[in-house]
Amino acid sequence: MSKRVRVRMFLALLAVVLPMGVTTTAPAQAPQYSVWLVESSRFMGVPFGAFMPDRAFVPGSTNPMNNINTVDLPVNIGVIKGGKDIVLYDSGWKQQDYLKMTGSAHWAPLPQQLAQLGIRPEQVTKIVIGHGHWDHAGQLSDFPNAILYVQREELRGIEWALNYPNPHIAAVNTSPGGCARTPACGYPPLTVNEIYGKVLVGKAVIVDGEMEIAPGLIIHPAFRAHTAGSQLLEVNTAIGKIVFGSDAYSDWEAIRDWMIANPQQTDTVQQFLAYEKCYKITGGYQNCVAAHEPLSYTDKYPLTKNSWVGPNGSRAAEVTLAPGERSRKP
Amino acid sequence: MTRRRAVLGGVVVLGLGGVLAFAIVHEATVSRAAAPRPVPPGAPRPALTAAEEAYAAALWPIHSEVKVSALRMTFGGLSYKMKEIDRATLRARVEAARQTYHKAALRIRALQPPPSLEKVHAEYAEAVHLYEQSAAEMGKVFKDGRDDHLLAAYPLSREAGEKMLRAGDVLWPGEYVPN
Repeated sequence: MSKRVRVRMFLALLAVVLPMGVTTTAPAQAPQYSVWLVESSRFMGVPFGAFMPDRAFVPGSTNPMNNINTVDLPVNIGVIKGGKDIVLYDSGWKQQDYLKMTGSAHWAPLPQQLAQLGIRPEQVTKIVIGHGHWDHAGQLSDFPNAILYVQREELRGIEWALNYPNPHIAAVNTSPGGCARTPACGYPPLTVNEIYGKVLVGKAVIVDGEMEIAPGLIIHPAFRAHTAGSQLLEVNTAIGKIVFGSDAYSDWEAIRDWMIANPQQTDTVQQFLAYEKCYKITGGYQNCVAAHEPLSYTDKYPLTKNSWVGPNGSRAAEVTLAPGERSRKP
Repeated sequence: MTRRRAVLGGVVVLGLGGVLAFAIVHEATVSRAAAPRPVPPGAPRPALTAAEEAYAAALWPIHSEVKVSALRMTFGGLSYKMKEIDRATLRARVEAARQTYHKAALRIRALQPPPSLEKVHAEYAEAVHLYEQSAAEMGKVFKDGRDDHLLAAYPLSREAGEKMLRAGDVLWPGEYVPN
């Protein structure tokens, strides 16, 4: 056998063996998670233009972008189950006294909403809050075993605003009837206190940027995409990657059509970059989970169409099931 | 004769029909008027009276200061637990908040709520009192160095926050908007 032939045979052998080696050393595939969505409550009759400036109502207009006067906005919470974890993305709000204030309807306690999925509060292992606003970070104390994940930047952002010397910027609220979107707007003492409560009992992880909190569950920072320390959650599922965005993804149609939504303290460029993140991770906009999409729980928002009505008229949706997981849809 | 009977019968039938129609319309009208009108979700609620408005406006600047202090105190505890500030810095923050609560309590005592808001007034005053107690409890950390006091202070400020929301629900509807 000539030397050239021996070299060729050796290279051929390498070509067979190397891919085998690559296969055996590749990281284990991330588990697939089951995902449900529950509606903490619904804000009724919100002027569309206040939520999405590009879709402001124009009386008499036949343009579908401008012919809707008001919308009902759900407050969506993600429920993610897989491995040893039951994870909530956002936790809605609890202050029942707010019900009259905000024109909200269909509020139900989150433990009651989880019961319809067969989940008890003490089984919840992790809560990732997309941001700390009152309608997304409430009810934390109802989940005694859950570890809270909040971005350090979110806490810094609020405190920075509180201590800013200009009272117009530092204002928690500037006039009766609204807090005028100051940087610390939307964080009642009670909500911040609940976050503090988790820190006090050692049940909080202060996140700095990106973090994998379990195999296949990855937090991505989306700073200033809605608030200073907004964060997304990437979830591996049987229907591909899903990305939860809280109010960085307030509106699913906005992600589809590249429009801003729910401005609040939003840097609109950062909101668009957060949209882009979902496109990059999931390959499109279908699997981006919006917190306040008015079309939620209907065929028009396909990810959430497998829905039903639960406690107090709140809605829920079975988004995807992991292999072997049973359906919870009544 | 037969024709007259037929006419008479027709008149009677028409009359009875009229009475029946009147009764149906009357009953339907009365029923509608008597039944309580369903209030659609999100419907506006009655406005505050002038006296109530005046009280809410007088409390507002106090409320703003209390709220900011409550948040700063909470963030003081957070930063301390996250080891971003030392005990002396926390002490300064908690003491500043405590003083704000104390002054607020005095100002609230001087307010005269209308009879309809006496309960709300009392609840708000209690909220401020609880915040002051919470600050005092947090302050004990500086004396004996035990963080347990932060845990003991927590439910006090939590209850204060709830009471403040309850009062705010009456006085400043829409203080918090969908975020």
